[in-house]
Amino acid sequence: MIRLQNIHKEYNGKSALTDVNLHIGLGEFAFLVGPSGAGKSTLMRLLYREEAPTRGTVTIGGVNITRLSRGQVPLLRRRLGIVFQDFKLLPKQTVFDNVAYVLRALGVDEVDVRRRVNSALAIVSLEDKTAEFPETLSGGEQQRVGIARAIVNGPPVLLADEPTGNLDPQTSLEIVQLLDRISQRGTTVLISTHDQPIVDAMRKRVISLKNGQIISDVNSGIYEMEALR
Amino acid sequence: MRNIRIFLRVLTETTTGLKRGGWSNWLVISILAVALTIFGGVLQTTMAIKSVVSSWGSQLEISAYLKDGFDPQKVARNVSQLPDVQLVEIVPKEVAWQEMQNNYKVAALNNPLPNTLHIKLANVQAVEKTADKLKAFTSIEHIRFPLKVARNLNKVRQFLEIAGFVVTGALSAATLVVIGNTIHLVIQSRQREIEILSLTGVSPWYIKGPLILQGASYGMGAALIAGAILFCLHAYMDPYIHEQLLSFLPMNSSVMDVGLLPTLIVVLTLGVAVGAGGSAWTSGRYIKI
Ligand SMILES: Nc1ncnc2c1ncn2[C@@H]1O[C@H](COP(=O)(O)OP(=O)(O)OP(=O)(O)O)[C@@H](O)[C@H]1O
Ligand SMILES: [Mg+2]
Repeated sequence: MIRLQNIHKEYNGKSALTDVNLHIGLGEFAFLVGPSGAGKSTLMRLLYREEAPTRGTVTIGGVNITRLSRGQVPLLRRRLGIVFQDFKLLPKQTVFDNVAYVLRALGVDEVDVRRRVNSALAIVSLEDKTAEFPETLSGGEQQRVGIARAIVNGPPVLLADEPTGNLDPQTSLEIVQLLDRISQRGTTVLISTHDQPIVDAMRKRVISLKNGQIISDVNSGIYEMEALR
Repeated sequence: MRNIRIFLRVLTETTTGLKRGGWSNWLVISILAVALTIFGGVLQTTMAIKSVVSSWGSQLEISAYLKDGFDPQKVARNVSQLPDVQLVEIVPKEVAWQEMQNNYKVAALNNPLPNTLHIKLANVQAVEKTADKLKAFTSIEHIRFPLKVARNLNKVRQFLEIAGFVVTGALSAATLVVIGNTIHLVIQSRQREIEILSLTGVSPWYIKGPLILQGASYGMGAALIAGAILFCLHAYMDPYIHEQLLSFLPMNSSVMDVGLLPTLIVVLTLGVAVGAGGSAWTSGRYIKI
């Protein structure tokens, strides 16, 4: 589903990613780990085309997205769900409206909006909070709204850059387990994180980045603190 | 259906943006309205002058006003001896006075008008030469001819064009700055929404459309105000100018009746272009998708 081939990314001649090769299959669930500055966010930004690679090829769902025109970028992004560390909710809109926001902007009719938003909110177990405003929710609940918004359009790929960075350990685990359940419904999920206990608890695929290079990629792995130091 | 829904949402966002604009909406509209009024006024005036100039500039006629006590018949005979003179028509002061009283409500004074000769010439080149010769006649008080008036009007027009367009240009630049600030504020207050829309693949036009429409509605509002002002000026000033022109040169002045509609269309187009263009430029600067 996601394929990176010989990816190099430089910022002003300084290398952020060096010769990254990676394949993540359909419906797979993977962690992207590594110390600060390793290049996790950079890799994520290449996937949702906030940035283009300096060299190499990025393919998503068989489509080469390395050289997309400006008009094609929105089409790519409609097939991705993105979860943010800081949730990025609209404070003046209810939970329902936050999740509905993008569907409405895409011109989906209101009956369809209602059906899809309710189903996304059911997946994240927030059916009874639809009319509340973000500030009345806990951090974990806010992130669940963020996840509902990311999956409401039924994207085949879900990208989450440090989705638990602002949450306590227990809530973080719940959020990651939720993302795992979503992946089991057929969505490819890639999560970047620093969070060793969670990675260790999940026993999933772990891709380790250090200084812009993949230094290990293991299934049912743990967070290799020593190697990454 | 889908496009209609999207369009309605864009309109809603535009309204929200206008509400967020607050008092700066009025700042933008007033500056732009002043710019458009000046632009429209200059445009209308120069078009009228052009029309007058092109019609008068080709006329082969000189009016000579005679001093009292000279016999118009005699003077006319002398004048017709000059080269290039084709026809001399005498308008006795009684006739001119009668005509004026028919056309205008004038007080019953003693006839203040002089005897007049209308001199028709063979070609344009001869007009000024003959005018010089006529000036030497002791029997002629003074002369007027359309070509000269046209020349002078043309100078006025050139000045108006330059001054008007400089002022309009400066005011438009000021408008662009103010629109830029206003739209920038709206973008800042919508920062998070714009980020979400952009990262979830909503089309850039949905994001920028409301901002551009907001700019366009400034242009429309300003053009409406400018149009109303121009309309009033046209309605109240034109008769006055006609009168002035007539007293200056008793000639057909209806050539200056240039319709206002083309000017209004240009003003509206310019207003919308400045408004929409300014906000499109600002959104392009601050919204990277
Ligand atoms: N826009 C940018 N301009 C210049 N350098 C950048 C930019 N973005 C990232 N970098 C550099 O690229 C390298 C990788 O950064 P990146 O943000 O991908 O790391 P990260 O693994 O996400 O770190 P963290 O865990 O702190 O979020 C860093 O050295 C960073 O300074
Ligand atoms: Mg990061």
